[in-house]
Amino acid sequence: MTTGLNTPPGVSQKLAATIGLPYTLTTGKAVGSTITALASKRLTGSYCSDCQRTNVPAQDYCVGCGGEMSLIEAADTGTITAATTTPEHTLLLVQIDGASSPLLHRLVGPAEGAVPGVRVRAVWADETKALFLDLEGFEVADSEAAASSPVDTTVDDAMKEMPYRLDLDYQHSYGPYYGRLFDELAHHRRLVGSPCPQCHQVMVPPRERCDVCFARTTRLVEVQDTGTLQAFSIVHLEFVGQTRTPPYVYAEVVLDGSSTRLIHVLGGFEIEKARDLTIGMPVRAVWKDASQAQGTLADIEYFEPVV
Amino acid sequence: MRSVAIVGTGQTDHSRRRTDVTQVGLAREAVVRALQDADLTMDDIDSVVVCTGPVLFAAVNQPEKWLADAIGARYKPVVRVTSGGGTGLAGALAAVNQVKAGIAERVLVVAYDKLSEGALQYSISTLYDPFWGREFAVGIMGFSAAYWRARMDSLGHTEEAAAMVAVKNRKNALLNPYAHVKKPVTVEDVLNSKPLCWPIKLMDVPPISDGACAVVLASEDAAKKSSRPAAWIRGMSYVSEAENAPNRSMIQSEPLTIAAQKVYKQAGITNPRRQFDVVEVQEPYTCFELSYYEGLGLCEPGGAAELIKSGATEMDGDIPVNPSGGCMGANPIGATALIRLAEIADQVRGQSGDHQIHGAQWGLMQAGGGWANLRGVAAVSSEKG
Ligand SMILES: [Zn+2]
Ligand SMILES: [Zn+2]
Repeated sequence: MTTGLNTPPGVSQKLAATIGLPYTLTTGKAVGSTITALASKRLTGSYCSDCQRTNVPAQDYCVGCGGEMSLIEAADTGTITAATTTPEHTLLLVQIDGASSPLLHRLVGPAEGAVPGVRVRAVWADETKALFLDLEGFEVADSEAAASSPVDTTVDDAMKEMPYRLDLDYQHSYGPYYGRLFDELAHHRRLVGSPCPQCHQVMVPPRERCDVCFARTTRLVEVQDTGTLQAFSIVHLEFVGQTRTPPYVYAEVVLDGSSTRLIHVLGGFEIEKARDLTIGMPVRAVWKDASQAQGTLADIEYFEPVV
Repeated sequence: MRSVAIVGTGQTDHSRRRTDVTQVGLAREAVVRALQDADLTMDDIDSVVVCTGPVLFAAVNQPEKWLADAIGARYKPVVRVTSGGGTGLAGALAAVNQVKAGIAERVLVVAYDKLSEGALQYSISTLYDPFWGREFAVGIMGFSAAYWRARMDSLGHTEEAAAMVAVKNRKNALLNPYAHVKKPVTVEDVLNSKPLCWPIKLMDVPPISDGACAVVLASEDAAKKSSRPAAWIRGMSYVSEAENAPNRSMIQSEPLTIAAQKVYKQAGITNPRRQFDVVEVQEPYTCFELSYYEGLGLCEPGGAAELIKSGATEMDGDIPVNPSGGCMGANPIGATALIRLAEIADQVRGQSGDHQIHGAQWGLMQAGGGWANLRGVAAVSSEKG
């Protein structure tokens, strides 16, 4: 079979994929102490005696000299240095009294009059939860600028760790080569590769250029769903994001008619016998039922040894 | 071409989890120690290279921005380099080139990862093609185990031979103050340890660590002003392979062979086994160290099992490999390659303390990412050459 590269109309051009990762972040002394102090409605800053610089909120290290900063109790009043209104909030840069640089937060209360130069005061949540939003924001309130007199503060039992998550959604474009590959997989249960016109190696998945001689490929050819086991390992490890339950066999297979390795799993035998598998043994694809086909590599349930 | 020397090194107190510092606090600790060792301050540094693993390891993008503040590097050139397990060496090469080109007299390289923050194997699986293979990926471990199994057939890299690497490196780690895993094991312990991705077993695997390393590189003029001994870079190379190219056997690493040959030519080395006094290699799993013996030309292809068995790579052998304990003592991935460079530099500077190889003048180090596709090598010497 020889096929061209035209993707039929009406076929999805994108693969939706999500990377979801849990984290336990280390806050460090400054952020940990700041958040812990917010729960008792106190704002924390940091002070560098070499640079005479005060940061609010607190930072561990001085942006001026890289030295360690000491923690101080900061004023809860300041002056707006910039403001912008979004559909949900008016965001403010507030120069806390005594601080060397402004703090980004939001306005609480009416937006009128919240312009640079206006005095503001911290607004605290009724019930604090040791989160940054225990400081709900700032409201317009006349006050004298607080005197800047750094007092060393230490917070007992400061927070050290914080749970966090990243859930990242992507839309990956197939492009003509992958598009045709997965169309063939979904509709005809066959795998295609691209032969290099110069070195005649057949690359699966198909690609525009040969990795070795960089010649441009111009056509697709069908490769077999049988092949040779190039390498395998027996997975016992459990980890976040795993798509199958251990134990199972990870495999790299070179399909008949191709010159590249395909990553998949082996099955069709008792897992206790997996150590007897041999490198170079012939294997073949076991396909899922047609009703479950999704046009991905997982349409192949596993590869099984040919006996 | 200008000569380049390492004039200061620093490592953190590596640990499975450091709850007392943020990522940048961790990196800063290594910087402070490297500057102390070099008897310099940030004012003496012209340029900074930051090295970390993939950002998904710790959820902060462009961490070099955050770090520049924490080490007092504002208004200095700062770039970040990332290249898997070889990251620290790739960054060192970038720094060496800055000095060689004459655009900097002293460059600070700082490499770190705080691996306790995220999900390691899953993060590594995102290195795979999202269309083709990612859902079957088992981080780097499934893949490495698979080709180790293949090497058993073709090169005789047996489970016993790999276990001897674990025994040697874990023993050496006992002498290294920066190693956070200090537990001697026997070959039987390793062979009987729990399979994770067979043939890789629990004790073939180094710890997962929070840690950082920093190195100060200097031109000849700048190095002369230093009161401490210098380690001269006599050769350095970092080479890549096309990951999915046709006909990759994965049995030998061509990039490693190419990098080693380039470095030996630069350094005038004709017999690495005899000419080097000490070697540091980055072994993500024990089986890797066996492969490096062959790729670095310390023995013939297929000779690694015999070499480890002979005891030649022990502390008191003729070619000691990983007197620091290698990754078995600590393995903060983004920092690991730079730790190997710092360790080998300290050997030829005579600063290795309890794990010093007496009188070491020539050192060889290796680092890389992936099973076979990114490999770097460096040669250092106590003499400028
Ligand atoms: Zn300062
Ligand atoms: Zn070609």
